[in-house]
Amino acid sequence: MDFGQFISYIAQGTVLTIGVTLIALPSGLLIGTLLALLYVYGGKAASRIMNLYSTIFRGIPPVVLLFILFFAVSKGINLSAFWAGSLSLGVVSSAYQMEIVRGALLSVSGDQLMAARAVGLSRLHAIRYVVLPQAVRLAIPPWSNEAAIVIKDSSLVYALGVPEILRRAQLIGASSQKYLLAYLSAAVIYFLLVLLTTRLLNHLENKLAIPSNP
Amino acid sequence: MKKRFLLVVALALVAAMLVACATESTSVLDKIQKAKKVSVGTSADYPPYEYLDDAGNKTGFDIELMEEIAKRMGVELEWVDMPFDSLVAAVAGGKLDMSISCFNYDEERDKTVDFSEAYYTTEDAFVVSGAFTGTITEPEDAANYKVGVQSGTVQDGWLTDNLVTPGLLPEANLSRYERVDQAALDLANGRIEVLMGDYVPVQALVAQNPDLQIVYRGVLSTGPINIVLPDGDVELKTEVDRIIKELQAEGFIDALAVKYFSE
Repeated sequence: MDFGQFISYIAQGTVLTIGVTLIALPSGLLIGTLLALLYVYGGKAASRIMNLYSTIFRGIPPVVLLFILFFAVSKGINLSAFWAGSLSLGVVSSAYQMEIVRGALLSVSGDQLMAARAVGLSRLHAIRYVVLPQAVRLAIPPWSNEAAIVIKDSSLVYALGVPEILRRAQLIGASSQKYLLAYLSAAVIYFLLVLLTTRLLNHLENKLAIPSNP
Repeated sequence: MKKRFLLVVALALVAAMLVACATESTSVLDKIQKAKKVSVGTSADYPPYEYLDDAGNKTGFDIELMEEIAKRMGVELEWVDMPFDSLVAAVAGGKLDMSISCFNYDEERDKTVDFSEAYYTTEDAFVVSGAFTGTITEPEDAANYKVGVQSGTVQDGWLTDNLVTPGLLPEANLSRYERVDQAALDLANGRIEVLMGDYVPVQALVAQNPDLQIVYRGVLSTGPINIVLPDGDVELKTEVDRIIKELQAEGFIDALAVKYFSE
């Protein structure tokens, strides 16, 4: 087996790694943002429930949730390993992303909400047009950190047999007995993926920055 | 062979408990025959039992055996690659029809899944050349000589755990070879005095070289290996066991052993 074959075999898993990330990250963002809004503006009962949600899902190792969803829950709804893995990672990530968005919402001064109400905006409009746009900007830097974590956590779906980068590295490492080379190749691919993602998000952050507020 | 950590067992137990409530009484065999397809799990990272060839296709002793079993069941074989640790849980949870991955029987595993008849029992052997003047009556006696073994095998593990680590055999007196036939060559040349290996491939080497002889044969590092089946599924187990016995009687399995273990 020559070197080119080796790299190309492992790299074929990149599609799956990106696929898992592209499901987990946006689904986590959607759930996380909705829950964060409820947490901050939904009253006492909602904030208690959200707090519980966050504590539970940040307290369970992603791989355990992955096993539960794949082997137990998917008995009824027949989920493939790929979807079970991606969705579990999305749920875990939603708890972290909720905290990110919540932090960002809270760091927009409460006076702004009051001022917006004073000029006649409804509460919903004040949140939607005044608080949220600023919060999103504040959330990008910690969010790019979460994006990097989800890319790397996507390797956990290997435990369900999804042949992504890590699993492919294991297989080729075993058959060629070149374990070090296999894992180094996987590391390089992951590193490039994370680098590319954080660069893109940096770019987005600069582009979205409010000019008058350097 | 492979025995992994408790977590796997715990996960398998959880899966089995959750599944137990929903288990239907129909045999997996019916499902397989209806779908004309059997879905079998393996962890293709364990040569020579299951691994990838240069083209990236699954090959090995277990792989070829399972292909023959599926053929005799008259169904298509669908391989599902999974890490070894997940295979038992996947069978217990109904995600796979069965798993073949050099599984040793294990009491803990038996609580959540069933085992087929052993399709192969690996034994260990010690070989010496005609010039050897010492004696080996107990396996531990090998510690008094220069020993050779194929690196990374269960025999390598046995020698390391039982002779080297307790200090009986100096590390310098244990030579690890990439292949067992290289060790046999050095045995014939006198660089090592004793060779430890899987009985089947070693027997093939001795047959080729009349100067070598087996002085000890027994189960030390190895044992029977079985196919993992869904818990309590008598019909499926009966069918798989029947085919295994058939293949043993025809010598198919011995031929596979020679093909994969005596390179």
